[in-house]
Amino acid sequence: MSAFHIIVCGSLVPDPLQTLEPITSPTGPGLKNEAMLPAVLDPWAGHALYEAANLAKNNPGSKVWLVSLGPKAKLQQLMMTIAQKVPFELVAVDGSASGFTDPFEAANALSDAIAKIPGLDRSKLLVFGGCASASRDAGVTMQMIGEKLGICDQFLAVDELSTPGDGSLRILERIEGGRYQVSSCQGAPAVLAWATGKLPVPPNNPQVGMMNMRAIMPALQKAVPAKVGSEGVTFSSVEVPKQKRETRIVKDMPVDEIAREIVAWITA
Amino acid sequence: MENLERQSLEVDIACVGFGPAMGGFLTTLSKVADPSLLQSRVMPGMPLQIMCYERADDVGFGVSGIVTRGRGIRASFPELDLSSIPMAHPVKHEKLVYLLDPIGASRRSAALKLVDKLLPARHSAFEIPFIPAFLRKDEGMVLSIGQFTQWISSQVMATGMVQLWPGTPVQSALIEGNQVAGVRLCDQGVEKDGSPSAGYMPGMDVRAALTVVGDGPVGAVGQQLDQVFGMPEGHHKRDWAVGMKMVVDLPENTELEAGMVYHTLGFPEPEIFGFLYVHPNRGASFGIFVPSFLETPVRTSYRYLQHWMLHPYFWRHLKGAKLRSWGAKSLSESGKHGEPFLAGNGYARIGEGSGSTNVLSGSGVDEAWTTGAQLAEGVLDLLREGKPFTKETLHEAYVARRRKSWVEKEAAVAEKARDGFHQGFSCGLLGMGLTGLTKGLLNIPGVAKRPHEKFPSLEEHYGTKLSAAELEGIRKRAAAESIPLHDLLMNQAGWPEIPYDGTLLVSHQDALLMGGKVQAAPGYADHVVFTHPEICETCIEKTCISICSGQAIMPGEASGVPRFDREKCVHCGACLWNCSKPGRENPEFGNLEFRAGAGGLHSSEN
Amino acid sequence: MEKILYLAHVESDGTLSKAALESLGAAVELSKKLSGSSLSVGLIGSQAEKAAGSIASCGATSFFAVSGPEFDCSRYSTDAAAIEALGRQTQATLMVAAGTSRFGRAVPGATFRLNGRIDSRITGFTVENNSFQIQRWFYRQRMMSTQTRAQRPWALLLDPGVFSPWAGQPGTTSVQSIAVNLPELRTRVLGTETATTGPQTIRPDAKLLFVTGAGWTKKQSDGQPHVKEAEDLIINFLEKTRASLGSTKSLVDQTGDGQQVISLLSHINQVGQTGSTPRHQKGLSTCCHGEEPHTVGWRFINERRAINLDANCGWAQGKADVLYVADAFQVLKKVNELL
Repeated sequence: MSAFHIIVCGSLVPDPLQTLEPITSPTGPGLKNEAMLPAVLDPWAGHALYEAANLAKNNPGSKVWLVSLGPKAKLQQLMMTIAQKVPFELVAVDGSASGFTDPFEAANALSDAIAKIPGLDRSKLLVFGGCASASRDAGVTMQMIGEKLGICDQFLAVDELSTPGDGSLRILERIEGGRYQVSSCQGAPAVLAWATGKLPVPPNNPQVGMMNMRAIMPALQKAVPAKVGSEGVTFSSVEVPKQKRETRIVKDMPVDEIAREIVAWITA
Repeated sequence: MENLERQSLEVDIACVGFGPAMGGFLTTLSKVADPSLLQSRVMPGMPLQIMCYERADDVGFGVSGIVTRGRGIRASFPELDLSSIPMAHPVKHEKLVYLLDPIGASRRSAALKLVDKLLPARHSAFEIPFIPAFLRKDEGMVLSIGQFTQWISSQVMATGMVQLWPGTPVQSALIEGNQVAGVRLCDQGVEKDGSPSAGYMPGMDVRAALTVVGDGPVGAVGQQLDQVFGMPEGHHKRDWAVGMKMVVDLPENTELEAGMVYHTLGFPEPEIFGFLYVHPNRGASFGIFVPSFLETPVRTSYRYLQHWMLHPYFWRHLKGAKLRSWGAKSLSESGKHGEPFLAGNGYARIGEGSGSTNVLSGSGVDEAWTTGAQLAEGVLDLLREGKPFTKETLHEAYVARRRKSWVEKEAAVAEKARDGFHQGFSCGLLGMGLTGLTKGLLNIPGVAKRPHEKFPSLEEHYGTKLSAAELEGIRKRAAAESIPLHDLLMNQAGWPEIPYDGTLLVSHQDALLMGGKVQAAPGYADHVVFTHPEICETCIEKTCISICSGQAIMPGEASGVPRFDREKCVHCGACLWNCSKPGRENPEFGNLEFRAGAGGLHSSEN
Repeated sequence: MEKILYLAHVESDGTLSKAALESLGAAVELSKKLSGSSLSVGLIGSQAEKAAGSIASCGATSFFAVSGPEFDCSRYSTDAAAIEALGRQTQATLMVAAGTSRFGRAVPGATFRLNGRIDSRITGFTVENNSFQIQRWFYRQRMMSTQTRAQRPWALLLDPGVFSPWAGQPGTTSVQSIAVNLPELRTRVLGTETATTGPQTIRPDAKLLFVTGAGWTKKQSDGQPHVKEAEDLIINFLEKTRASLGSTKSLVDQTGDGQQVISLLSHINQVGQTGSTPRHQKGLSTCCHGEEPHTVGWRFINERRAINLDANCGWAQGKADVLYVADAFQVLKKVNELL
C-alpha cells in the first residue's frame, strides 16, 4: 500500500447535448450564450476524478484535490452536481474555461495553483486529468503541467492504473488500432491523462456532498483570479461547418434490393 | 448486496425541490441579519444545516418561462436589476388575441363559428381591444425561470448557508405517526423495477426537524402527504393543464420587441390558451396550455403546439426562427381548491403544490415565491423564539402569515374563477370574466370531475367527424405499427401534416434532443409505473400516450400495456392526470403512478 | 524565414508509418509554400538511417536522428528528450509531426521545454501572402477555426488520415546523430495488448466504418429485443467486410444500465461527442438516432449511408448521402447473405 497525493485537473465544459454556436468578441472567439449553457465536469476529467477517488480509497492515507480553472460562478454551479460523487478538496482558479484559450496559458495557471497547495508531497504526487477536454480538445495541457512541475513520467489516454503494492504503477494507455500499451513506472511522481478508465460514474452520496461542500464554498471564495487567454493567437474564423448533405431517402424499397444496393456500394 | 445498510444523515432543515417557492424560502432565510439565530441543533457549534434536494440534473432545468408582476420577487429584491438576470426584461406591451381557426379542423361549436365569422379579423386573429385588469401584468417582467432560478441558486449558495443538491430526487417523506421526520432519497444503482444492481446504494434517510416541501404540483412528496394526511374538506386536485413551450431565436429582421407579451385563446382548440413573450436579444418563449377540461382522449401537446406556431398570426413572426429550448410541465389549475394542509408536525408546504397558483390571473411564480418567503419569515420567528416546528407553531408562524397576505386575498377572489369550465368552454370563459370583473362576488358554478372522468370515448369525441369504420381502421394501423393513435386521428380529422424544416418545425424526438436535451443518468428505477397492468390491457384511449410530452410512454407489446422509456421523460407529470381508468387505491387519480426520478430536461433557458 | 523541422518516429523495421508519411507530405508542401523556409528532418529510433533513406528525396536540407535502444519504444521521458534535442539542434520555428499516440504524448511537453507553443488535431493549412494559417476543430468536432499564432517555436500535430502521404523515391542521405541527455528512466514499456477479449473490431485502416446505434437492442416489431441475433448479424457483417466497428454512446452506455448489450462493444468503440471521430472512406449507420452533437461521430466519413426505420433520423437527414427507411435486421441479414 502506498499513500498518494492525487491532483486532478478538470473543469467545466458545456453539457454535451447543448447546441453550440461560435461568436466573435473583442477578446476572441467564444460561444453564444456561454454563461447560460448548462455545464458539466469535462467527461475525461470526470473519469480521472473517479479513478483518483477509487485509488485514494484503496490506498489509505491518500488524498484527492480537484484543481479547476473556470469562472467562479460557473464552478460553484458545477460543484453542486459533482461534489456528491466522491470526496475531494477543491482548489479553484477563477478564469476562463473557454475552449479557445491557449493550453499553454491554462497549463501555467493550473501548475501555479498546484505548486501552491500546502503539504503536497512530491514523492506521493500523481497528477491526473483528462486525455483531452471536450472544449479545447487539444490533448496537450496535462503534459505541459507535468513539465512545469518537473515530472518526466507521463501517460496519455490511460484506461487502467494498477498498483502492485510496491509503490510502482502499472498503466494501460490507449494506442492506435484499439490496443493498449502496457507500461510500468517506478512510482510517483507521474502524470496520468485519462481516457474513460474502467469505473462507472459513482452514485450521488449526500454525506460525501455535505462534507465536501463545507470546504468548497471557502475554496471558491479564495479562488485566485487567473488571466487565461490566447495570447499570440489570431483567429480568422470560427464556424460551424455547413455539412448539410442532399439525402436521398429510399422508402418502400424491398429489403433484397436495398441489400443489393448496399453491397454494391460497399464493394465498389 | 440487498443487505447494504441504509445510511442516515441529520440536518436541521430538509427542503424538497428547488423552484421559485424554494427560491423565496432560501433567499429570505439566507438574508437573515443575525446569523447567531441560525445555530445548528443537530451539529452544535455549526451553522444551521439546510439541505435542499432537487430532482432535476441541475438547478433551473425543467421549469418554465413566464411573465409575472413580480411583486413578491421585488419585495425580496427591492434593488432588483433585471439586466443582471439573463433573458429577463420589463413588460412593455401586452396583447390578448383571439385566434380563429384558418384550417377548419378544431372542435368549434356552431355558436363559436358564428362569432368567428362576425369578428373583424386580421391574420386570422382578433386582437381584443381591452385586457381585463386581472389578466394584465402591469409593471411586470418577462423571465426565463430557468435563468432566474440559476441566478437565485448562485445567490443563496454564495451565502454558504444552504447546500443545494440537484440530481438528487427525494423518494418520500419519512412519516412517523403524525410527524414528518425528514425525507428518504431515491435508491441508486437499481434496475428499472427498482431491484438492486451494480453500484446499489439505498436512498439515504435525511432526518430533519423541519421538512419544507416545494416539489411542485406533481412532486412525489407532495402526493404522498396528500394521500397520507388527506386533503382539507372539499379540497381536491382535479384541474390541470400541461404547458408546453419553446424558446427560440427570432429571425434577425424580427419586428417583435423585448418585453412584448401575447396571450392567446381560440386555437388550435378553443380551450387551448397560448402565450408568447419576447426576451432581450431576439429571444422569445412561446407555448400552449392543454387543460384537463379539454375533454378529449387525444390530448397531444406537441402536435397542437406546432399548429399554434403555424397559425398565420404568429407564423409571420416565427418563420425563420430557430429552436433553442423546449420543455413541458404540469400546472395545477385547482388554485385554492387544491390547497392541501399547509403545515403539520415537522413539515410545511409552499408553492404550486400548496395551491398557491392564482387561477384567475394565471399567475403562479410570484405567489409561489411569496409563500416560500412567508415560511422563511415564520421559521426565523420560531428559531428566534426557540420553538419547535409543530403543526401549531407553523400555523401561527407561517399559515397565519399567508392567510393575511395578498396571495391569500387574491386566491380567495380567484377560488371559483374556473369552475365554469366544468360546464364547458364558453361557460368557463364567461365565468372567469364574471369572477374577474366582480372580484369574486359572482361566479359560474361547476362540479369538478376527477381527472379520469373527463375522457369521452373516441367515438363520442369524434362524433360525425370520423366514422366508426375510420376509427377502427386507425386503431388497427396503430396497433400493427406500434405507433400512437393521436397523430393518425388528427390527420384524419383534417389537421395538416407538419412541414418539418429542421430548425423550428422538427420531429418530436428532435425537440427532445435539440430543444430539451433530454437525458437520464443510469441506475434509477422507472418513475412512471402502470399500477395494474391488466387495467391498461383493456384501455382503448391510452391518453397517457397522447399526452406524454416526451414520447416516453409509447405503445407497448401485444398485451397493450404501454411501455415507459425513462431516458425520454421530461418529468412533466401529465401522465398522472391523463389516465382514463380510475386508480384502485386512489380513485382521485388513475391507474398510473408518477414517482420521483432523476434526469429529464437539460436546458436552463426555459 | 521559417525553419521547419519534420519529426517522425521510426517503426521497428525502419519504415515510416502512413501517418508519418502524411505529415511529411504536409511538411514538404508547407516548405514549398512558405518562401524562404528550410526543411529538416528529425527521426527518432534505431533504424533512423534506413528511414532517412526512404525519404531522402523529400527536399530536406538536413537529416538528424536520435537513436539508441531507449528510443525504440513509445515513452514520454525518452521521446520528449529526443524531440527537445532535435528542436534545439535545428533551431526550428515550426515543428511538424503526426498526431500519433506517441507524439501526442511527447511533443507537447517537449515544446514546453523549448518555450514554444503547440496546436494539435490540425486538419488543414493555408498559406497566403506568406502568411500561414491552420485549421483545427474545437468542442469535439463541432466547430472549425482558421487561426495562426505569433510565438515560435510552434509545434503542429497533424490529424492522421487527412493529408496525402508523401510519395517519393528513396535515396541516400547522411544522417547526423544527436546525443541526448536522458533523465533516470523510471518507466519500462512492457508491450501492448488488445483492448477487448472479443474479436478485433477497431480497424483504423478499414475502408468502411459500421456504426451501431441503440436501436439494435431495443424491442423490435414483435415486441421483443433480439440482442443475440443483432450480435450475430453484426459479427458476421464485420467478418465479411473487415469494417471497423463504431457505436453510439447510448449503446455502449447500456452496459451500465443493466440492459442486454452487444458483448463486443466497449467504450473504445464509441464514436461521437465523447468518443472518437474516426476517418474512413465510407460509413454505414444502423439504428442510430439523434441530432447534433451525436452525429459528429461520423463527421469525417466521406460517403455516408444510413439504415433506419425513422425517415426523420438525425443521423441521416442532411447528414447522409442515402437513407434507407427499413428494418436493419432484415437488411443486414440479406447483405450478409449477398456478401
